[in-house]
Amino acid sequence: MYSRLLARLLDWTLRLDVAINRVYPEDFNPLYYTGGLANLFLTVLVLSGIFLFLYYIPSFDDAYRSVQFITVDVPYGQIIRGIHRYAADGFMIAVLLHFFRNWFTDRFRFSRDEPWISGMMLLLFAGFLGVTGYVLVWDERGQLLVAMTGRTLGAVPWFGAWLQTQWQGSAGISNLLLPRMLYLHVGPAVMLYILLWWHYVRIRHPKVWPPAVWTLFSLGLIFLLTGLVPATSQPAARPETVPTTLAVDWLFLLPYVGLKVLSPLALIALAVVITVYGLYIPYQLPETPAALGLRDSGIAQVVDANCTGCELCYYDCPYNAIVMVPSPHPGVTKAAQARKLFAIVLESRCVECGICIGACPFEALELPRFLERDVQEKVVQACRS
Amino acid sequence: MNDRETRYSTWIIVLALVSMAAVVAIAWGEVAGQRLVAGGAVGVILLAYSFILLFLRKGGFTGV
Amino acid sequence: MPELERPAAAPAPGTGRGPKIVGFLCDFAVDVSAIAAPDGTMRDVPNVTLIKVPCSGFIRPAWLEFALRNGAQGTFVCGCPLGDCFNRFGNNLIGDRVTQLRRRFERQKIHPDRIAAIYFGLHDQEAFVGAVKAFSDHVAELPGPVVPAPRPTAARPAGGRATGGAGQATPPADTPSAPGSAGQTAQEEP
Repeated sequence: MYSRLLARLLDWTLRLDVAINRVYPEDFNPLYYTGGLANLFLTVLVLSGIFLFLYYIPSFDDAYRSVQFITVDVPYGQIIRGIHRYAADGFMIAVLLHFFRNWFTDRFRFSRDEPWISGMMLLLFAGFLGVTGYVLVWDERGQLLVAMTGRTLGAVPWFGAWLQTQWQGSAGISNLLLPRMLYLHVGPAVMLYILLWWHYVRIRHPKVWPPAVWTLFSLGLIFLLTGLVPATSQPAARPETVPTTLAVDWLFLLPYVGLKVLSPLALIALAVVITVYGLYIPYQLPETPAALGLRDSGIAQVVDANCTGCELCYYDCPYNAIVMVPSPHPGVTKAAQARKLFAIVLESRCVECGICIGACPFEALELPRFLERDVQEKVVQACRS
Repeated sequence: MNDRETRYSTWIIVLALVSMAAVVAIAWGEVAGQRLVAGGAVGVILLAYSFILLFLRKGGFTGV
Repeated sequence: MPELERPAAAPAPGTGRGPKIVGFLCDFAVDVSAIAAPDGTMRDVPNVTLIKVPCSGFIRPAWLEFALRNGAQGTFVCGCPLGDCFNRFGNNLIGDRVTQLRRRFERQKIHPDRIAAIYFGLHDQEAFVGAVKAFSDHVAELPGPVVPAPRPTAARPAGGRATGGAGQATPPADTPSAPGSAGQTAQEEP
């Protein structure tokens, strides 16, 4: 049933592509560049964030004031603040599109699981960044978010109190809160780049930037929104009272809406279940292509006798599954005898696509269950029929 | 110029004029202290450029 | 430009329906379960036989030439839409390789239009069939033999049999395969 549902989702995703490709030329289809769009927004966030960081003061008395200072007194401060907010929304939208598209088009199977796992962690860190970012403003929304998060964390059995203390910086709400929030905002932002390194390890030539049409469009949209709907703070936080209504940003604060109907512990349990399921997705169906009824060509094999160390397969493998090593011994053919390098296929990364076979001019790579001989046989048969 | 080219080049010219108006808006926003207008106008220019590039491609003036 | 050596290519033997076309289709491109028989023959363009491959990037350019030297009059590769290759950029790679092979064909006096790289997604059956039909019709109009007759060499003088073996110019079996030598090996089959 799950596979049928996935097949249906794949169908709709690709039909959406057909519709978009009627308007945009194929190399401009934004759904082919969701990762790049996310990276674009992340870059804007980091640059605008550095600007905001230069003026922000993480203390109870000065936080709200410093944000107002940026908004009113710093030239273009409100623009930069608005860019930061709308780029964050754009980032979340791009990341969710990226997540759903790669899920529905099966791009996480078998050896493609590591980008998925690192991607799930990126998603979690990104969500967390949004929450701490809203807290830093230290307006009514920020104050309420701290209270709601603290209460939810405190509901975890056994070490809930400890978690709440880590979140707040001290057992109660003290002046240690906002420096802790700033740390929990900038630290995860740095962690995003470390996770991105892991995300790209098995991906060669990652598409980190969208085409110019979409770069201009995204930046333009952010600037336009900033002008039309300026980023402002809610009323300032007051220590005596905790506000009761939350101004919701649906992209980041959806779990907090859940607290209206769920108890804190139930919300935590739901979050854990969703996260664990998300990490489990690559492993949910049978692990081997044969078990899934897919083509099972076998891991690409290097033909030692023929490999000349030309590196063409190394540059063309989309999953960084080929590495070049100093040649342990000469090959057999004349060109292979002179080789300095030798190609090795990393089995854990090979998805059996055969692109290296197409790249090799020396017949030094084969898929074990779909050899050149088999291809030629099929061609001859096709020509006879 | 065939019909497709005419259609798209009309739009490109319209967008170019919109961009020029936006440049004026940026300058005005800075002078009049309405920086939100200036920021919004920057957005208008970038959006207009993105569509100019798209129409250049669809009109066959650029691209593969 | 290849010389006009005889009028437009006759239909492939036995079919009378158009030139013999071999198409390589990747597993994730257009879904042909409804428009092709299990053996690969396309229902709407019966002179075309499809061979399924794991990715369009799997195709060695040498195999396209092999097809042309073994009875096909045209051959194409169909991959996913550009930008959406299931394996990220296999279709871009085969596109580049086909472009390069077309230039090599021009130098070898094989008509470059006998090979093509096309890109269609899962639901693009109609567009795919249209493109294949157009390709087939175009190949039917191309002049000349598919591959030119081999030039006479000392080992294979014009109009005569090959001279006896020792020391003559056939390339040794272990040189790196380039499209030319793969073709010569194929041509020695009766």
